Amino acid sequence: MRKILSVIKREYLQVVRTKGFIIGTILGPVFMAAIIFVPVLVSTVSVERQERIGVVDASQEIFMELDKKLDHKLKDGRRRYLIEDYKLPEDIDSLRNKLNQMVLDKELSAYIFIPEDISDGGFAEYVSQHVADFDKIRNINEALNSVIIEKRLKKEGLDPQKIADYMRRVRLKTIKVTKKGVEEDTGGTFIISYFLVLILYMSLFFYGAIILRGVLEEKTSRVVEIILSSLRPFQLMLGKILGIAAVGFTQYIIWALFGLTASQYSGSIIKSMVSSAVTLKIPTIPAYIFVYFVLFFILGYFLYGTIYAAVGSMVNSEKEAQQLLFPVSMFLIIPILLMMYVIRSPNSTFSVVLSLIPFFAPILMLLRICILLPPFIQIAGSIVFLVLAVLLMVWIAAKIYRVGILMYGKRPSFVEILKWVRYK
Amino acid sequence: MFALEIDSISKQFGDFYAVRNLSFNINRGTIYGLLGPNGAGKTTTIRMVMNIIIPDDGTIKVLGRKMDELMKERIGYLPEDRGLYPKMKVGELLVFLAELKGMKGNESHKRIGFWLDKLSLVDWKNKKVDELSRGMQQKIQFIATVIHQPELIILDEPFSGLDPVNTNLLKDIMLEMKREGQTIVFSTHRMEQVEMICDNICLINKGNTVLEGNLNQIKSQYGKNTVVLDYEGDASFIKGFSEIERIDDYGRHMEIKLNEQANPQDLLCKITGRIRINKFEVMEPTLNAIFIEKVGEKDAQNSVSH
Repeated sequence: MRKILSVIKREYLQVVRTKGFIIGTILGPVFMAAIIFVPVLVSTVSVERQERIGVVDASQEIFMELDKKLDHKLKDGRRRYLIEDYKLPEDIDSLRNKLNQMVLDKELSAYIFIPEDISDGGFAEYVSQHVADFDKIRNINEALNSVIIEKRLKKEGLDPQKIADYMRRVRLKTIKVTKKGVEEDTGGTFIISYFLVLILYMSLFFYGAIILRGVLEEKTSRVVEIILSSLRPFQLMLGKILGIAAVGFTQYIIWALFGLTASQYSGSIIKSMVSSAVTLKIPTIPAYIFVYFVLFFILGYFLYGTIYAAVGSMVNSEKEAQQLLFPVSMFLIIPILLMMYVIRSPNSTFSVVLSLIPFFAPILMLLRICILLPPFIQIAGSIVFLVLAVLLMVWIAAKIYRVGILMYGKRPSFVEILKWVRYK
Repeated sequence: MFALEIDSISKQFGDFYAVRNLSFNINRGTIYGLLGPNGAGKTTTIRMVMNIIIPDDGTIKVLGRKMDELMKERIGYLPEDRGLYPKMKVGELLVFLAELKGMKGNESHKRIGFWLDKLSLVDWKNKKVDELSRGMQQKIQFIATVIHQPELIILDEPFSGLDPVNTNLLKDIMLEMKREGQTIVFSTHRMEQVEMICDNICLINKGNTVLEGNLNQIKSQYGKNTVVLDYEGDASFIKGFSEIERIDDYGRHMEIKLNEQANPQDLLCKITGRIRINKFEVMEPTLNAIFIEKVGEKDAQNSVSH
């Protein structure tokens, strides 16, 4: 036990002191904050300038209305779009050529061509160099739309204002009922589920890779036999897996502290950046979900950690490891691919079966617990299967590791690995 | 009491017998040579002694007790395939390895200081391992092997990669340890080193004992019918002489085994004047010659090319 502690200590200190860890731990939250704040920032400080848009109105009845509708303002109160009317001459092609040239010369940011039959289903055209400016295209499309609809309504003698009132959408609230009562859900359940599952998924990948690289380093640097002159292979493997677990734990504690501090201030930060107060409700994680998260995290970590350790012991280089890791990665990727299905029908037979399979359980059972708490017997079942799988995997991995770590040369075949497991 | 008792151990990997019914005992306070060509089963044997792999059959007793994990703290093992964590500092690494041998902080710091000083590596204590030359790393590995003052020390090819100065230094340390009562198992295929250092030897081939016992006794069994000749000139004509059983010719140095009836003096007469003779010595066969004879030309060539 004392020796395992020495190994844990070494693993921990070696990883925690690397630049990669320090940078990753600090940049992680910075990156998360960036994902939240940068879009807000960008939308408020994006470059603001007026744009000239030409209009060729073949129907001869749209321009005035369109000019009124496209009255979007910049922050300083000036009009965002300056609409210019180009009267339709006899020669339509030469006008088009002229306008195209103006767009290319950046005199106009775009021009709109409105055909005569616009009210009867004809295509209006938006011509610009930059046709992915969705915000602008949507503004123009909406403006055109409402102009034409109002025109049609008036033609029938209807009052557009009244019609708009009649057509107002029904509002729907989603309310989640649990045994503890009812609460309004504003999409928080989905966000939390997604967030927790992705954290679990990325951690299994990330820390698994650290374990693998550690085993491989011991093997390629030939230090392993010196270590084994003091302790059993199993102790070394266990110490390594626990040491990296301690690294992950440290990282999460740091991130949680960042997160708590951020959530204390994030509301006020966003408010100070955006003049119009955004009400941001940060969803809270119920305690039972957190407990299950930690449990599935630990079990998943041991299941995949031992697999990564065994793979690391079988190979002689990172390149060989990549090839062998492909099937392991598939076990992690499949549940992610099935996530949307499970979110939609968390209680279907297929979802239940999937979430009982140990390799998928950490991700899919956790997801089901977040979405719609399954019967306890199913949760217990998946945990029992998972624990059994972890024990079996530790046993197999220990056997493979013990032999593999002293084997140099060509990568062993599957049959050879089966033989290793049978060695005394 | 024996430092190491190996009683008919066997180890099989699939269909391949790495070690087959191997037995030998090692007296305390001696230097014991474990010899054999590549693939003879030396490393497998040593790993079984170290409890790294488990024998299929037979028993191993270390320092009078059945081998177990705790005994590892009383043994020092320098494997042939050896290295160090490249990114660790020398001092920290040695503390870690000493910890694994059950040493406490204070004691290990003192011992590490002593050994770094003895092998003139003090200035490298805070350097990372990958900044050290290969020879220096070898010396660090040696320190890791003996830091906990083990009663039994197993050295697999300890001199490989060392220059003559450091080889000599290490040899002196080995002899010093022997005087202090520590037992050393020394595995190599460098026969001249074994000849100079070892008290007893065990020669194994294909997992079996070929030769075992006191080195002097073994050599005297082979009788005084070997001639060592240092010469200049073309000595290839010697091969044709009828009294020759076998010759190892190194170009300027020749080891000649004569057959039972031959008289070394006759050989001297026959070659006088035909080549320049710098040395002509009648002696017991060298261990090298015994090794080659016992293991057979084919196996020996494999080991020489290593």
